[in-house]
Amino acid sequence: MLTSDQSIVEFKAGRAITDRLTQSTHRHYVKYAERMLAIYRDGQGRQRRQLHREINSLFADEPDCPVRRIQAFCKLLDDRSIFRTDPDGKATKLRLDVFSRVTRFHPLVEKPDQLFEHDERKIKAQLADDLGLPWSEIEQGLYGDVMAYQPLERFEGYLDASALLSRYNVAQLQACLYRAESMTVVATDDLKTILRYAKLAKLLHDIVRLGPSKYRIAFSGPASVLRQTRRYGVNFAKFLPALLACKGWQMTALLKTPWNTSAKLNLSDSDGFTSHLPPPDEFDSSLEESLARKFGPEHDGWQLIREGEILHNHQKTFVPDFTFRHEDGTQVLLEIVGFWTPEYLAHKRRTLQLFRHHKILIAVPDKSLREGAHIGKNVLVYKTVLKLTSLMEALEKIRTEKNSC
Amino acid sequence: MAHISNKPISLSFNRGTLLLAGIGCEQLPEISGPSVWAWDNRVGALRCDAIHYAAIRAALARQFGPSLSDEVPKPCGVHLHKVELPKLRPSQIEALEAWSKADCRGQIIMPTGTGKTEVALAAMARRKIASLVVAPVRDLMYQWHRRILAAFDYDAGIVGDGLSNIKPITVTTYDSAYIHMAKMGAGFGLLIFDEEHHLPGKCRREAAILSTATMRLGLTATPERSDNLHKDLDWLIGPVAYRMPFKQAEGSMLANFDVVRIPVTLNQREQATYDQCSRAIRYFILSRRKEQPGYTWRDLCKESGSDPQARHAQKAYYLKNSIESRAAEKLRVLEDIFRLHKGQQILIFTGSNAMAIEVSRRFLVPTILSHTRKRERLAVLENFAAGAFPVLVANRVLDEGVDVPEAKVAVVIGGQGSVRQAKQRLGRVLRRTGSARATLYEVVCENTKEVQRSRKRRRSDAYERPVHRRV
Repeated sequence: MLTSDQSIVEFKAGRAITDRLTQSTHRHYVKYAERMLAIYRDGQGRQRRQLHREINSLFADEPDCPVRRIQAFCKLLDDRSIFRTDPDGKATKLRLDVFSRVTRFHPLVEKPDQLFEHDERKIKAQLADDLGLPWSEIEQGLYGDVMAYQPLERFEGYLDASALLSRYNVAQLQACLYRAESMTVVATDDLKTILRYAKLAKLLHDIVRLGPSKYRIAFSGPASVLRQTRRYGVNFAKFLPALLACKGWQMTALLKTPWNTSAKLNLSDSDGFTSHLPPPDEFDSSLEESLARKFGPEHDGWQLIREGEILHNHQKTFVPDFTFRHEDGTQVLLEIVGFWTPEYLAHKRRTLQLFRHHKILIAVPDKSLREGAHIGKNVLVYKTVLKLTSLMEALEKIRTEKNSC
Repeated sequence: MAHISNKPISLSFNRGTLLLAGIGCEQLPEISGPSVWAWDNRVGALRCDAIHYAAIRAALARQFGPSLSDEVPKPCGVHLHKVELPKLRPSQIEALEAWSKADCRGQIIMPTGTGKTEVALAAMARRKIASLVVAPVRDLMYQWHRRILAAFDYDAGIVGDGLSNIKPITVTTYDSAYIHMAKMGAGFGLLIFDEEHHLPGKCRREAAILSTATMRLGLTATPERSDNLHKDLDWLIGPVAYRMPFKQAEGSMLANFDVVRIPVTLNQREQATYDQCSRAIRYFILSRRKEQPGYTWRDLCKESGSDPQARHAQKAYYLKNSIESRAAEKLRVLEDIFRLHKGQQILIFTGSNAMAIEVSRRFLVPTILSHTRKRERLAVLENFAAGAFPVLVANRVLDEGVDVPEAKVAVVIGGQGSVRQAKQRLGRVLRRTGSARATLYEVVCENTKEVQRSRKRRRSDAYERPVHRRV
């Protein structure tokens, strides 16, 4: 991620527009990106400050390039580089050694005279002799622990020029979010992933149902209800790549400008930003596809509602994989569980307890069942694929249970 | 008013805030005490900032009695095996008593070199409760660690500099405190803010807001901030409990001093480039102002992304700065000062890391930079104190509070013209050590912006009685 010093954002009529390099506006940057990658790829053994200087001079005659953009590129390239650090403290030892040896000659003067006889060049040459190294090498190593002087060891790089530019565009969005006080996402798909990653980013949420399978989720941190704070901006920034990997969402973040006014950053899945994260688990969608195909539009009075439904009770949420609705109004939520450890079971049970007034069916593959595991009510065990007949049986059982009581 | 429902009411610490659960949002107006609560729909409870703990816990206990369960962790007591503090001077005792009388919430303002650290250590020894010391930079944090070790034989925890070791007595920096206070905010009963003028910044203040500590002590020589935010210290820490005037300190504890300004001229090549840059910038700004009368530096920066001319002007400005701060002549002046003060300890402050390293490589003298690690810092400071190293070069990191004993000569080459920096830098040179007069040299480039900055520095009242002479 970038530092806020490298952030480029324009505030216009209450909107925040971050710096973005696209095919249509900055086609010529592909060439620059290629050359930047080449500088780092061929830069083994060169100091960080030399690499940065070279990146800088690459843009010397480019009219369209603010200093911050260059600095941001350097940061993104450095992020994928390994520089030789000084873990054994060699530079420290060398410094203390050299400085102690030289103390009695202080000051080293340019032109010696009767009072001050220690010629800078002579003393340095003598030191080099004593240490058995050429002076240039000593001078190199003297501050070898300072980042700017560290040599490049390995460059892990980016896939290609456009990967670097994509990363740049997302990094600018992230840096802009450091200024954010709150973030609101309106989502129709991938709700599970969005909520899971928000939780990983330590964000709290507030969910409002806007319509069938359409939700507005407000993200913030604990202190956000008390005052406006940018404390959680980093959390928003960390969460963003996960959001960009999802589909079916719109996001609005509320920012503070440097002039202490408010501005909005608007974003949606149709803006075409590319996340470096993979899209949410393919498993979900392929399973959904095959089940939907098997099930058809209607089956024995049941309908498969493909869009998700969120059950929420404060910070506990439950996003089932499928929702089934019978024509008599009965609604059953199906959750397919991949593994079945006692801890996970206990956690699941606590969550389901919160939502006990809903009808929830859980499907578990039998290979992940532990021996002697307790199979409760409304748990459906399946072999390799979830069979339609056993699913229908389970659904009917739940429905008639309701009718009988 | 009594609580009617029989649901238990609980008060707990949650990531820098307090949660009051078991009360509905409709009961909000009935809560007695300061009105600091907000209903948090996300968790179904009332929430407030942890800083209010001292004020609300008594009010809540009165209102709800035993039906309130206070689950906020209580800071543990600290048993010190050894307390070895120098005898406090009358002014220090006065400061400590004034703070204790103010319910242990308040600020003590004393000039540099008059023993603020000792007052704080005495406060810690007296309160015997888990304490967190917050310092501006890592050097100062380590210095606190050493002072605590010397005074109490206690190896304090460190949060910052890549470490996160929380103990009943812990030292940290403002930046680390901002990041980690949400997690450790309920662990301490006493917070000590060293150089407290760093606290009221928009972000850093959260270090005070996210903690439940009921006792707070702020220390500084210079509380004023140009943005006036120092007024907020009154509620972030507590009102000023004691203030020692600067005049009283001078003469009694601080040495007399001279300020000597040494103008250096740029060499021909530097001056030519410098003038060329100045002309380029002036020409650019003037030509812009013909069309936009109010055109400023900020506009220039904004345009520099899309306008190559603006970008060239911006580059010229940075080049000018770097010529000023790294003028070759400055190294020659330094050589003269070294000759003049042969046998004396000399401190050098530079405007940038690059310049500090340049001085170090030229004269082979040690530096303390922001990234210098603990072991080397200690070695360098100790050797300098013992006189083994004649010179110490530092970038800004030594500006505040770091104890550098016995330095009678200081040189400032480059640096910004803020009043506080001037005071802090004088404090370094002026520590009471015998009767010798201290000297502060300012090496500035003539015919450049640096001369103006030097004038601004001298406007500070700390410079009121200096002797100006040219070398």
